[in-house]
Amino acid sequence: MGLHRFKPLPSGRMGIFWTLATIREAALVEFGCMGHMLYSGVTLKRAGVHDACKLYSTHIDETDIALGGTSRLNHTIANVVKNDNPRVIFLLPSSIPEMIGTDIPALCEELQPKYPGVRLLPFGYGGFDVIQHRGVQEALLLLAKTLPVDTEKTPQPTFNIIGSCADLFRFQSDANELVRIMEGTFGMKPLCVMTSDTSVEEIENMGGAHINLVIRQEGEATAKHLQERFGTPYLLGRPYGIEGTIRWIEEIAEISGMTANVDFIKVERRISRKRIAPVMPNFQHIVRSHADEAILSLGGHADVVRGILSFGCNELSLFKGTCWCDCPHMGSEDIPYFSEDQWVPVVQEHKKGYLMASGEVLEWAGLNRELQISNPDTKWHLHPYEPPFMGFRGAVHLVNLWINEEIDD
Amino acid sequence: MNELKHLKRLSMVKSNTGIKFLTPAVSPGNHCPMRIASVIVEDIEGLSSLLVGMQECTTHSRLFSPKPEGEHGELHWLYVLDSHEVVFGCRDGLIDALRKMDKAGAKAILLIVTCVPELIGEDIEGIIHEVQPELSAPITFVMLGQFKNISYPPGSWKTMEALGRLMDVKERDSNCVNVLGRAPEEEHISMPSLLPALAEKGISLRYIAPGASLTDFQSAPDAALNLVVSPYTQPLAVKMEREFDIPYTALHNLYDVESIDKAYAGLAERFGFSWDDIFEEERQEAIALQNQVKEMVNGLRFVLSTRIDMPIPLSIYLSKLGMEPLLLHLEEYYPEDRINAKELIAMGHNPWICRMVNAEVDLSVLEKLAPDICFGYLWSTNKTIPCVSDMFDFYGQVGYGRTISLLRRILGVLDEIDASRKGGIEHGATSI
Repeated sequence: MGLHRFKPLPSGRMGIFWTLATIREAALVEFGCMGHMLYSGVTLKRAGVHDACKLYSTHIDETDIALGGTSRLNHTIANVVKNDNPRVIFLLPSSIPEMIGTDIPALCEELQPKYPGVRLLPFGYGGFDVIQHRGVQEALLLLAKTLPVDTEKTPQPTFNIIGSCADLFRFQSDANELVRIMEGTFGMKPLCVMTSDTSVEEIENMGGAHINLVIRQEGEATAKHLQERFGTPYLLGRPYGIEGTIRWIEEIAEISGMTANVDFIKVERRISRKRIAPVMPNFQHIVRSHADEAILSLGGHADVVRGILSFGCNELSLFKGTCWCDCPHMGSEDIPYFSEDQWVPVVQEHKKGYLMASGEVLEWAGLNRELQISNPDTKWHLHPYEPPFMGFRGAVHLVNLWINEEIDD
Repeated sequence: MNELKHLKRLSMVKSNTGIKFLTPAVSPGNHCPMRIASVIVEDIEGLSSLLVGMQECTTHSRLFSPKPEGEHGELHWLYVLDSHEVVFGCRDGLIDALRKMDKAGAKAILLIVTCVPELIGEDIEGIIHEVQPELSAPITFVMLGQFKNISYPPGSWKTMEALGRLMDVKERDSNCVNVLGRAPEEEHISMPSLLPALAEKGISLRYIAPGASLTDFQSAPDAALNLVVSPYTQPLAVKMEREFDIPYTALHNLYDVESIDKAYAGLAERFGFSWDDIFEEERQEAIALQNQVKEMVNGLRFVLSTRIDMPIPLSIYLSKLGMEPLLLHLEEYYPEDRINAKELIAMGHNPWICRMVNAEVDLSVLEKLAPDICFGYLWSTNKTIPCVSDMFDFYGQVGYGRTISLLRRILGVLDEIDASRKGGIEHGATSI
């Protein structure tokens, strides 16, 4: 890791937190210093999450560390059960217990018989070489392996969204757009939006869904597990752009065997195209006559970058600029991973075209904050009704952002 | 009360470790000392910082110190330990980071060391000793692992104390006084009358607190006296007395008129002038209010909740007014609290001592305890316990003015209690 000017890659522990902390009917307990949970809670509120998982810390002091004391955990769990009576208590890994080797799973096993009505679920992957994306992946997978119950498929077709987590920028709006499209196209209701808008009960019943829509690669292992256990097919992908969204719908139809409502798609396509039509000549002009201004550079989650890039280049004929992802394990030839030493010069040298990245990057560089597509964030987002990036509405939103950026320039 | 059985009485508390949580299951808990240190460094012109810790601490610090570079070339950078360094130490990495910051133009650097590097026993002092000769920027450090520093005050007082290491011996200016613990201009916090009065007497005041500059800190050892107006700067005053032989006068813990009289008289004597009647009007007001409140609060039982800077000195004053302390939340057990505790105990009081970390549930315990009045912060929905809130407003205020404000607030709450007994204060739509 070493020296940083900007926020470092979050830890796996933080990825696990952002995956679990939105789940209703649950409590989240961290055996560690209380500052972590206090500020993680603040970050969550800033992302617009409320009335979700109850957040607790045990705190830990020198004596606990020296003597290996874990009584704080016992007392905390007893109080959480007494005061909140959650369905599940998630035990979050924390840096100090990771260092001193506290065996949280063993403690949970010991305590579980005392609380027959509450499931104690410890999460691993708290080690110091585990980063955010792995934490998200493993948390999703453990939830899917432990909570779902045996169930029949729902009589009316339903779907799950896997991988909508609070660590992604504008996660709620994007999930809402997918729900809207699924209802309009297939008449399908969501069974579980995992995990940004769900409860313990909904995760328990997620085996009843007819298809799983995996919107980030960290969720694929979960989808594979659910496919194996419940036979649920899955689609991995994030729909961006008008045509991109239609292709995504067609793939769902193919995988699930459902018939798409052609009228809905036609209406959505027509409305979206009409909305962007007034500015399409501008883009054509820019692409033809000012190629250096038609360059799209993107930094963020690999799947988000790939999706927005695909829309910009394939449907608006923009040119690919410098694109990078924020996870060393997801880097590819076309979208490599950039550390801050690598993206700083890219951002500093950016003069023309569109640069979409994290709020932290854009704010530092004095660039248009409206072009934020990824975290770290620096602002509050209290309501979940901001325009999405995915789906039909996301396409219109992106075009709107780009044309305004063009005017500002 | 069963809910208090696990707590210690004041007489049994000798340090921070003796302060037990009122209820377990921390939610949301106290601020980490790292937060305050991050806020302070961002507010001292010319001072750079390097926060050393894991991803959690370094990321969260950006909530409070969001920019990597300050307006005057300050660097606020982060050092994150990797898995190898957690086991084998981060000495080489830290030295390299300090070299880079020095080369990038840092004028002075404060290392803010958080939990994991403190837990692995990294020898920060040794690292600084080794690298300092080759750097232009002086380096200081503060160890702020929250497992040792349970709440936010050490983030303030230890940081201020650490900045004392950037000071050098200076020639004494017999007319100069350092005001430790407030900036010359604090938003929403009025200036205590003492400070302009000192300036009028020809005393040169230098304010040492967040808002001051690195140069102010480095020049501070030339002063003839340190005036302490905040508990967070008392350890710095003690350090400056020890290392630079600068005496200090503590004003932050004085509430009763008599003590303030003595302290002010001592200042006049030290600098060889007379106050004349500069403070007489507010002094008389403080005496009148003190007498009025004494008559009204005698026998009332009180608790101190969170967000009070110096709970034990405040309790001593309230006890002098005739009130009885039941339960005190102590954010920090300061070294001088041993003496303060003895004074309160000698007055016949030995309250329960706790740390409140669970705002919602703690309130139910306080309601069961049923005090007549509370001081400090209460969970927002509470309407059952009369409360003198917003005690943090008194930050940087001292002397008669602060006592007057406190007493007026108490009277205000007593009026509310009285009104509610008579049927309550009317709320709702105003008739037209």
